[in-house]
Amino acid sequence: MDAWITIENLRLDRGRREVLHGITAGLSGRAVGLVGANGAGKSTLIGALLGVLRAKSGRIEVMGMPVPERALEVRTRAGVMAEQAGVFPGGSGVDAVMFAGMLSGLSRREALRRAHRALDALDVGEERYRASHGYSTGMRQRAKLAMSLVHDPEFLILDEPTVGLDPPGRLQLLQLIRDLRDEGRRILVSTHILPDAEFLCDDMLLLRQGTVAFSGPVHELVGATAGRLNVRGTGVDASFAEALRAAGLRVLEAAPGTLSFEAGIDAEIMTFWRVAAERGVDVRSLSRDAASLEEAVLTAMEVGR
Amino acid sequence: MSAVARAAALGPPVPAPARAPGARRVIWAIARRELGIAWRRKMVRLLFIFSLLPPAVMAIILVVRVMAKEAVDFDLGWDPVAALFRIQVFPVALIALGLGTPSVARDRSEDVLYLYAVRPVTPWVYTLGKMFAVMLPAMLLLLAPSVLTAVLRNGILGDIVSTSDSLVLVAKAALASAVLGIGFAGVSVGPSAATRRGRWAMLLAIALFLMPEPFKFIYGFDAVSIGPASASRDLVNALFGDEPARLALTGSLVLLAYGTFGALLTRGQVQKEMRP
Repeated sequence: MDAWITIENLRLDRGRREVLHGITAGLSGRAVGLVGANGAGKSTLIGALLGVLRAKSGRIEVMGMPVPERALEVRTRAGVMAEQAGVFPGGSGVDAVMFAGMLSGLSRREALRRAHRALDALDVGEERYRASHGYSTGMRQRAKLAMSLVHDPEFLILDEPTVGLDPPGRLQLLQLIRDLRDEGRRILVSTHILPDAEFLCDDMLLLRQGTVAFSGPVHELVGATAGRLNVRGTGVDASFAEALRAAGLRVLEAAPGTLSFEAGIDAEIMTFWRVAAERGVDVRSLSRDAASLEEAVLTAMEVGR
Repeated sequence: MSAVARAAALGPPVPAPARAPGARRVIWAIARRELGIAWRRKMVRLLFIFSLLPPAVMAIILVVRVMAKEAVDFDLGWDPVAALFRIQVFPVALIALGLGTPSVARDRSEDVLYLYAVRPVTPWVYTLGKMFAVMLPAMLLLLAPSVLTAVLRNGILGDIVSTSDSLVLVAKAALASAVLGIGFAGVSVGPSAATRRGRWAMLLAIALFLMPEPFKFIYGFDAVSIGPASASRDLVNALFGDEPARLALTGSLVLLAYGTFGALLTRGQVQKEMRP
């Protein structure tokens, strides 16, 4: 699949400090999770993708459009939900959503029609006519998402979309974002909440202190860090464990009938099968420990692969 | 509502506008919203009604002038357009303060400038939108009653004033409206960008209007004005009264300088905050 976001050797300064140190990534997933600790450079990267922040060097392309040269076009075709910014003040929710549509080039009439449609889709009822400054966190998040959807953008950039929501509200919003993804919209989600990223994303970009710790499909991230293999069978005993050690494998635990060893690459698994065949071990099951995304992310952040 | 129903309500993805909207469209959208918000405030509505009073009074004076001439064959010789302009500047300045001072401060206090930045809105477009929201009503409230009064004056006093005379007055009113609109926009929007509170912005703008006034008293009324209030007075008096033309020029330059300074200050402040 072609990358819809391409970043090559991106360097960017905030003040006198370099925040992004030569980031390179090609993001092709329908929904991409942008994950990293506070200060890793997530918001800065989003700013650079939209052309709001100017890079010192490097190349950015979003949906085939170079940034910052075609930044205004990128911003027109993007729906952005910013974490730190609220809802346009001074009016009701529907006013704010309509205004967001007008800023993206819609006529007033069309913006109003689409504002109601977006708010309907987000289950915002009569509250839409209330002044937006009195909204609860959940309502505010819905209004913000409606503002980012009102002009039917080709892709969405969502910065912490579920922050501050109660569990039912969070699930509802996540499901809606997933529906949008399944409709064909590309989504970049910046989040600290890894279960949200796991629920939504098929690709992941992990940032660690302004560098890329991992970039690629989520299953690769999880699979690559799940290095522990569990064996059950007859003939699995201490001598088999010794034979595996002699063949260069790292045996973690051994007990009669069960054994665990570490294997990150295919060659190590082939070695296991060779030793098992030589010793006539009847292997009934060989399973890999499934690492959670959280473990995988933490490992990747520590290793900085 | 179920997820499927929600998705159906939202409809299939319709391509977003393929090209970025033109600056004029975005400026108009910002100005229109600002005017809509202002109109909900009672004070602005009252000021607007107050600004309609001078033209109404001028129309009555016109009728009285004609009646006096017909009754006792005595012409008051009082020109309503010039008088209207001198009086009308005051409510228009108040309306400009009411419209401009909360506009940027509100966005700054609510941290929504980044919301503009992630849309096709540049700092200049934002600034011009906010300025235009002040300039447009200021110019209309100065020009429209002047044109109306000039037309009335021409119709009622047709035997006393010529059409060309009225046209010159309308041209002067148009020029003064444009310059005053730009100046008032700068004096009210600039302070709004300098603070996060509308009330502080109002105080700053009033200070900008009043603080330079003593210099006019100290250096004499023929001296060049440095404040927007005395510059407005100079411009109007020179265009519609007997003051030297030099004062119209200096008054215009001072007002344009305030407009430019207000725009630059707003643009600079906004650019700093239009980022994550």
